[in-house]
Amino acid sequence: MVKTSIPKNLAEALSVLSKEKYRLVAGGTDMLVQNRNRATLPIKYKDNVMYIANLEELFGITEDEETIYIGACEPLEAILENDLTPKLLKETILEMASPAIRHTGTLGGNIGNASPAGDSLVPLYLLNAVIEVKSETETRRLRIQDFIQGVRKIDLADNELITKIIISKTEFTKAYFKKVGPRLSDAISKLSFAGAITFDNDIILDLRFAFGAVNITVVRRPEIECLYIRKTKEELKASVNEIVEAYSKFIRPIDDQRSNKEYRKKVSINLLKSFIEEL
Amino acid sequence: MTKIKFRLNGKPVAIETDVNRRLLDVLREDFELIGPKEGCGEGECGACAVLMEHEIVNSCSVPLANCIGKDIVTIEGLSTTSRYTVIRKAFEDEGAVQCGFCTPGMIIATESMLSKNPHPTDEEIKIGLSGNLCRCTGYNMIIKAIKKAAKDGDGLW
Amino acid sequence: MISQEVEFMKDISKSIYKTDSEDKISGQAKYVADIKIDGMLHAVTLRSTIACGEIKNIKIPELPEGYHTVSSKDVQGKNVVKIIFDDMPVFTEKKITYLHEPIMFVVGPDKGKVMDILSEIVVEYIVEEPVFEWKNSAINYHFEKGEGLKVFSKAERVISYDYETGYQEQAYMEPQGFVGYLDGEKVTLYGSIQCPYYVKNAVIQALGVADDKVRVIQPTVGGAFGGKEEFPSLMACQLAVAIKKIKKPIQLLYEREEDMLVTTKRHPSRIHFEVAIDKNNEILGFKTHADIDAGANIGLSGVVLSRALIACTGAYTIDNLDISGDVFLTNTVPNGAFRGFGAPQMFFAIEMFMEHIANELGLDSLEFRLKYLAKQGDKTSTNGIFRDPIIMDEMIVKGMEISDYKNKRKLYESPESNRGIGMSFFFHGCGFTGSGEAKIIKARVKLKKDKSGDVYILVAAVDMGQGIRTTLRKVVAQILEIPIERVIFNFPDTDFVPDSGPTVASRTMMIVGGLISRASKEMKKRWGETEFIVEKQYVQPDYIKYDDDTFQGDAYPAYSWGVNVVEVEVDKDTYQVKLLNTWSVYDVGKSIDDRIVYGQADGGLIQGIAYGYLEVMNHEKGVIKQKNMTDYIIPTAKDTGNMETVIYENPYAFGPYGAKGVGELTLIGGAPAVAFAIEDAIKRKVFKIPATPEYIMELMKNDKN
Repeated sequence: MVKTSIPKNLAEALSVLSKEKYRLVAGGTDMLVQNRNRATLPIKYKDNVMYIANLEELFGITEDEETIYIGACEPLEAILENDLTPKLLKETILEMASPAIRHTGTLGGNIGNASPAGDSLVPLYLLNAVIEVKSETETRRLRIQDFIQGVRKIDLADNELITKIIISKTEFTKAYFKKVGPRLSDAISKLSFAGAITFDNDIILDLRFAFGAVNITVVRRPEIECLYIRKTKEELKASVNEIVEAYSKFIRPIDDQRSNKEYRKKVSINLLKSFIEEL
Repeated sequence: MTKIKFRLNGKPVAIETDVNRRLLDVLREDFELIGPKEGCGEGECGACAVLMEHEIVNSCSVPLANCIGKDIVTIEGLSTTSRYTVIRKAFEDEGAVQCGFCTPGMIIATESMLSKNPHPTDEEIKIGLSGNLCRCTGYNMIIKAIKKAAKDGDGLW
Repeated sequence: MISQEVEFMKDISKSIYKTDSEDKISGQAKYVADIKIDGMLHAVTLRSTIACGEIKNIKIPELPEGYHTVSSKDVQGKNVVKIIFDDMPVFTEKKITYLHEPIMFVVGPDKGKVMDILSEIVVEYIVEEPVFEWKNSAINYHFEKGEGLKVFSKAERVISYDYETGYQEQAYMEPQGFVGYLDGEKVTLYGSIQCPYYVKNAVIQALGVADDKVRVIQPTVGGAFGGKEEFPSLMACQLAVAIKKIKKPIQLLYEREEDMLVTTKRHPSRIHFEVAIDKNNEILGFKTHADIDAGANIGLSGVVLSRALIACTGAYTIDNLDISGDVFLTNTVPNGAFRGFGAPQMFFAIEMFMEHIANELGLDSLEFRLKYLAKQGDKTSTNGIFRDPIIMDEMIVKGMEISDYKNKRKLYESPESNRGIGMSFFFHGCGFTGSGEAKIIKARVKLKKDKSGDVYILVAAVDMGQGIRTTLRKVVAQILEIPIERVIFNFPDTDFVPDSGPTVASRTMMIVGGLISRASKEMKKRWGETEFIVEKQYVQPDYIKYDDDTFQGDAYPAYSWGVNVVEVEVDKDTYQVKLLNTWSVYDVGKSIDDRIVYGQADGGLIQGIAYGYLEVMNHEKGVIKQKNMTDYIIPTAKDTGNMETVIYENPYAFGPYGAKGVGELTLIGGAPAVAFAIEDAIKRKVFKIPATPEYIMELMKNDKN
């Protein structure tokens, strides 16, 4: 018998989770479609379901001096409209889905879903987001790249849920997100790219790239990025082919009903190149 | 079976049913509303759109469990308002209705976007409509209709 | 209803409010899924899981009380869906010819239980090797004009190209569905359909009953575009058989994925063109061959191929032709009608071909195409005559003016430019191809005046969004000089309306409206009578003569013409195409309502353009890969640009107020126009649609034009 839980607050949710495994549903925009049944029939869940979209403790965006804290169940559109939200994340959310989906979809849901084509994951990886998860007894904070382990695989124990997304406040000289979908909105990405750079007097202080939907998780390679810290803008531009080759081996897209691997790879490279060449 | 209470078209309602049901099915089967429609079943087309807390959502992707205490308005409820009268006239003036299947969803989208932004640009209108698919009109006259509604209804939003 | 102070309009084109807008806007309009009948059961279809073979054995679990299966052995009449050929069973008995071919229904009161039973049914197959290659030709056509192939022996050179078009899914917003019940012995069906009498006649054959034992009623229809022309007959037959067997009301609704996987789509095509050029760089003649993929059965494919072949010279007059084509059977979902019906495929190919010939010869392509533009009095591809004035020169001048075409072409020539502009010329033959109207349909209409002075339009024409519930009433109101509120056009119900023919082929205003117009004129003369009915039947004008077998004569009574200009930007990194602006000029004879025509123009153009660059559907071993609205990409509002349309008047003598067909014309030109614009932007030739970013990326590897 599949159980349903609608906890009234976070404490109750965590208490229930401490006793039994529940599949977590936030906005429902992914879960209801993935577990679809015939119209008019209830959603077909194979396990217990817990609805967490209305847990107040999981809402809101707050800040302190150096950090922004985004509630895991804060709707995407609200994140988009909030002044505290980093510009890169705003740009990404604006390209995602549609207003209707953004009104109920959440970052917690996107992260929990851990789809290789998840758009919001790309800026989160680039911004070095930290995911906070709680159980009844413990709070853990992990880097997003450690939290997401593979396609729809996350480091979340059965008694835990995602509570916050934590992002250090960063100002970039230039930050850019490009979603490449089959049409201009309301579509699953074929691939996506984010680039960010900070320089002072032409010296590079910070350089970050992230690619989405071209590997099982977002591609972020700090070991390539750090090779160019303290180099000049010109030196970076001169190294564009080197950088492209370095990333090439991590860009390993697939063929599917939306696109093919040649296109995804070539366009990822094009975007990377253009970002560098147009600095 | 759980008892769920929320507000529907301005009235408090209570229903005892499986909370894993989609809001769309509860609206159509239990409350016998036909405005929200099944066009795709996956939150892509917007034919099922309703207002939840005055914002557009796809009722095919909203579980009933998430509706507790919420304010839900379907086209049936919206059509009793004066804002609706302005929107309706604008849609008729601009010829924005053909087969009509997407239309209630488009009206919901209009109300949702004008509530947040009473005088949207063309680009903002397109963003506001981006989750509502139409196959008949090519969107042109719908966009014009929303512009007209915003203009004619100045002050209402 | 908002009352209108329209007594009679000086100019019928002047727009009025559509009669059904209010119900649709308020959400009160009833579509088939909104119709609930007490005690209604649900039917779900069990489908094959292989593409080719035979059913060896079916194991059905023990059915609980009130649950039934319905299959071929329950078909009370003929187990064939009446379309043209006898190659589509109502339920297949044994043979499987495509993946998801319908085998049986499970019917019962609880849908969840129905689904459970469905999943417990075990079908054993004998699997055969499916054929996906286009090699089994079911129909071959061939005809000539002038000297045909002989001119090729006089040619200075021969230029040849091949073009390819893909599937297109109608993607109407309302998925297909029916609901029906037994009324005594009469089966009554409500369905999302285009052709009440196609459905009725098919059901009569499947049940083996008399004419008065089947009734078909149209509720509000949420878009169709040809996808609900012949396909619903299959559903209706299955449902009628079930209703007759179980003797309870039953609902059959497809959900989006099922609809996308199993209903008819636009035929993919491969078109080969050759031109014989003389030493003065002039065209001597064409050789054209078109192949289309019918899927698992022929259905309407022969007619689709006919229309495509007849369109093989596009908007041009070419004196010598050798034209042929084949309909291929493959083990894939059967294809069928979609707005344009063979013409969109051919117009893409012929437009690109003319441009490519000019490129090859080093000539200015616009000048080249204008030189061959068809003129009044010219012979058509089938040795018919363009009898009526053709005003394409004016329309082209207008199109170029409003789009600033020439300046933009110059501007976009620059190698740095990633923008392009393209212009297509096209026509649509209005009405049925050939003698169908006269020999097969023989449309009848009735106009009834009742005691109160209200006038009822009694026709089987379906308003699926194109506005005929408004436009046909305008025609009657205008002629009778009565307020339009007194003209009533209820939803077609075969118990009350005669067979005025199917709502297809852009025939409704021209043919049905033409008959309604004649009936109105007679009614006007007899207006003094209290209560009476006027009936009119279609009579083909004497001068229209056509031989269907030899493809000779006037294939169509009238032609509507169009010019589309499309401007795009192609992203240099992602190869994505962004639509910037479109301009269109149309000659539809006379617009019966400007705003309705503009609406058709906008919608058709976006469908045509999207056919050209955006909509991708392919199959892999018979499995359709894009089977929902997430994966089958149609434009959203964000994908559109600025759209401008101009309507020209060029009245047709036999259409009401001079009206010709509108419905399909506006889709024909979009694909070639956007393909031209893309060619202009990327400076490479396009041979295939949809011209997706993936395809454009491949083309960029080629040398520049």
